[in-house]
Amino acid sequence: MNTENKELTTQQNKVEVAALTPATDIYESKEGVVLYVDLPGVSKSALDIDVDQDILSIKGKVDLTTQENMQATYMDVRANIYERRFTLGDELDSSKIDAKLDNGVLKLSIPRLEQHQPKKITIKVA
Amino acid sequence: MISNMLRFPFSMLDNEMESLFYPEVYRSLAGHSQLTYPPINISTTDKSVDVYLFIAGMNPDDIELVIEKNMLSVSGTRKLPDAQGDDKGSYRQERFEGSFKRVITLPETVDTESPQAVYKDGVLHITIAKRAETQPRQIKISAQ
Repeated sequence: MNTENKELTTQQNKVEVAALTPATDIYESKEGVVLYVDLPGVSKSALDIDVDQDILSIKGKVDLTTQENMQATYMDVRANIYERRFTLGDELDSSKIDAKLDNGVLKLSIPRLEQHQPKKITIKVA
Repeated sequence: MISNMLRFPFSMLDNEMESLFYPEVYRSLAGHSQLTYPPINISTTDKSVDVYLFIAGMNPDDIELVIEKNMLSVSGTRKLPDAQGDDKGSYRQERFEGSFKRVITLPETVDTESPQAVYKDGVLHITIAKRAETQPRQIKISAQ
């Protein structure tokens, strides 16, 4: 048995931290969709949102105020990264996503493309 | 054999019930089934006990913090904003809504007179100092 090898594998196991899946609510309206994502502990600077083709990725790092020599005694939250991806329908306009982060809740508003917006036709009275 | 057969459907039911009422997300947050909201982490140092509650989107005024003897209780009601309008359909609802309460037993060594609580980025951080006489002290040895 090679002890060096063994150590390497345990180290690799340590590095591999699963990301948390943030709880998300999604609402749809005529204008588009709105996502609310719970990201407690994530500040604006630690949040990454990007769209690659039709994939919307949300990634945030939990940054807690800690003190020196802290020891964890109980943990419900065992990782410090939130990560989640969503596939956007092609009727949505990914270039016009509006993002707001407030007290750890991310609100993403994604409008429908112009041609998919409901149109109101005014009827003229002759 | 019979007992096995009996047990099996019940454990299936448990899982079903759990996934109905507690979406995947809380289970993955905790790494196991998470029946309580909000999730908490507790850390300690020589000087203090630090409790973190992951409770996004709250108004701090709506969270009630009470320390009684060595019990710290956190309760409140989480309301989700403008959930349903007239034309709004919902696709997915995973976020916790409603009343919650968690009670944490603190070690005997804490000084319950001086807790500090800060709500930032959706995390409520409560720091409770340990009593001075319980903190480790270094004793200086003087040379003669």
